[in-house]
Amino acid sequence: MTEQATTDQRSAGQAQPGAGTRTVTFHVSRSKRGEDPHRQSFEVPVEARTTVLDAMISIRRHQDPTLTLRHSCFHASCGTCAMRINGREGLACVTNVEELGGDTVTVDPIANAGAVISDLVSDMSAMFGHYAPMERPLVRPSELGPGSRPAEGVAELERFEDCIECGICVSVCPISATDARYLGPAALAAAWRVVVDPRTADAERAMALADVDHGIWRCHTAFECTEACPSNVDPAGAIMNLRRAATRRRLRGLLGGSRSER
Amino acid sequence: MSEEQAVAGAPAAPRVERRVRRRGPLSWIDVRGRRLGGWAFALNRATGLGVLLYLYLHLVVLSLLAGGPSSWDGFILIATNPLFLVLDVVLLFGLLAHGLNGIRVSLVGLGIIVDRQRALFVAFFIIGFIVFLIGAVRIFGETGGG
Amino acid sequence: MNDAAAGTECIEENQILRRTAPGSFEENDGLFVALTDEDREYGRRLVEACTESRIPARELSPQEALRLEPGLNPELLWALQVPDATFDAMRLPLRWFATAKRNGAAIRPFTEVMDVISADHCVTGVVVRDHTTGHESRIGADIVVNATGPWSESIATMAGVDVPIQPSPGVLLALRGRLCNMVVNRCHPSGDGDILVPQRALTIVGTSSWLVDHPDDLGVPEDHVAAMYREGAKLVPAVNGAEQRAAWSAARPLIGSRGASSGRELSRTFQCFDHATSEGVEGFVTISGGKATTARAMAEKTADVVCGKLGVDRPCRTRDTVLLPHTAYYVN
Repeated sequence: MTEQATTDQRSAGQAQPGAGTRTVTFHVSRSKRGEDPHRQSFEVPVEARTTVLDAMISIRRHQDPTLTLRHSCFHASCGTCAMRINGREGLACVTNVEELGGDTVTVDPIANAGAVISDLVSDMSAMFGHYAPMERPLVRPSELGPGSRPAEGVAELERFEDCIECGICVSVCPISATDARYLGPAALAAAWRVVVDPRTADAERAMALADVDHGIWRCHTAFECTEACPSNVDPAGAIMNLRRAATRRRLRGLLGGSRSER
Repeated sequence: MSEEQAVAGAPAAPRVERRVRRRGPLSWIDVRGRRLGGWAFALNRATGLGVLLYLYLHLVVLSLLAGGPSSWDGFILIATNPLFLVLDVVLLFGLLAHGLNGIRVSLVGLGIIVDRQRALFVAFFIIGFIVFLIGAVRIFGETGGG
Repeated sequence: MNDAAAGTECIEENQILRRTAPGSFEENDGLFVALTDEDREYGRRLVEACTESRIPARELSPQEALRLEPGLNPELLWALQVPDATFDAMRLPLRWFATAKRNGAAIRPFTEVMDVISADHCVTGVVVRDHTTGHESRIGADIVVNATGPWSESIATMAGVDVPIQPSPGVLLALRGRLCNMVVNRCHPSGDGDILVPQRALTIVGTSSWLVDHPDDLGVPEDHVAAMYREGAKLVPAVNGAEQRAAWSAARPLIGSRGASSGRELSRTFQCFDHATSEGVEGFVTISGGKATTARAMAEKTADVVCGKLGVDRPCRTRDTVLLPHTAYYVN
């Protein structure tokens, strides 16, 4: 199966191609059963609002139902639709096709975060293998928003943590690109959150998990993770903060040790 | 009971061996889509390898000293050749880039200056560029001498 | 408000969720905000309904409301504080999936049901295709449960039965900026853009309502997007200039035959259909309707029906089993 015919949206009976529709060619990575990926081309009608995710779903519904991809929330909250679009990592649900410009778009799965199960789907196992043990709580105190004090009966205003576990930071990280044991920016950012705001988790434990060779010290300050993160997590900043804290901790340990020796 | 039947009734799909596809060491110098920090990283990797190569060559050259004045003088003849001086300038670039970025990485990497990593890169780039220009001019001034 | 009984169930279910999925909610309570006299009148009835359902509600003056949420429309007349919380719509279900997996469930994503197998008015399984491999297979079952939400009818058709589901989409906006910490509702009968839900560093504004035959290819009508901005700004003026992170539509599965004009009249209750009793088709049960917060209750109701058919007599465990963390879904 190589070239596909232009989709006929009328078959769906609902979304009609409007006046602002034009056709964009998507070169989408395909790979089944662990084989090496190849790109397959699809022509998709796009409008002003069409996102890359819309286009992928359109391909699946109208041209090729075997195209597999992850998605859920449509609003940059679940993190499952992370892809490499025109060679750059991003969330497909908020990547507008017209803003990408041009007549062609390449779509590939993210790298490094897990094994590719099929097409654009990664099993995320590599990332979660490092991330889950941090046991960072999902909620933190809310520092955002106009709420000045919590309502009666509410102990503390809270909000969900920024990280949406999309794996984009791991995909762009040049160290994760070559080192399977590197904990990676997502896990280390989570560790930092636990250290700063323990709540139900154990700060000492998180620091011990992060302050190892393949943890915070494996980072080489490329800062690509912070640049690419769609959710303002700043993993690189977290790693540097952890290093500062770890250095102080070790120095204190050294000084404390020498004092007790006297 | 019925759950077991349901699972047992489904012929197992063929087992697929899956490995994580990592982008590999070539991605270190792939700067497409990268920002300043990523450029600095790529530069560090490339200049690091370059300076390492230079170190090896340097030791080889120094070993010529053991061969006495004739072998050393032969080397000096090449050393003032303009093509060689270009390599010297490239070396200067590599040393400056790696050295100055190394200072930046140390400052940032120990959590001393974290928020200004991009500004640091720009600052060191400017300093490095000025020193590089001065150095390049002085190196090329060696043409024809000795 | 038409369902006072639903109100009590709602509170009970809220407590079950907080007990079994601790740490999965932004528990900042909610506000019903009255902007007009009609709103105020509706609020009075709302207070009565809360009292009847024993939902703790606290009336607030405009000043008190603004102290809690300075971003509110300063011209509000009155507000009612009610218990409320928001949850992560991806990560809470992942806790259910993770716990189910740990307890022996086999979850097969990217595997599409192509057909329902039946013979002699008895459903005996499904034909599935795994799109990650292209492999097609048959799964035999004593009972097939159809829990496909707005797609309930297309699956039911494969089994030769009918389910009265009316897919009803609505538009939602995600705006940059956390414009409130509490859930902010307009104090009136369900209408467009009358709820603001904070989520991380975003604010979700919803929703609208229209009816469709098929829950796919919905599109995002621009006039609905404009309505979200317009109505949302009445509650929190900062909505007006807020940057749009995303706009999307999704279909609710409403119980009830087609014929209603907008979908607002149809209830958000859920219903379990045992097709053996309604249409004489054995081995097939449909659960549909409802909303995200009632998902567990829907599952309990369905499990009761299925256990009844299979002659299994066991107490419900999902009311008290504390769920695994969502990350357990990805790590074995």
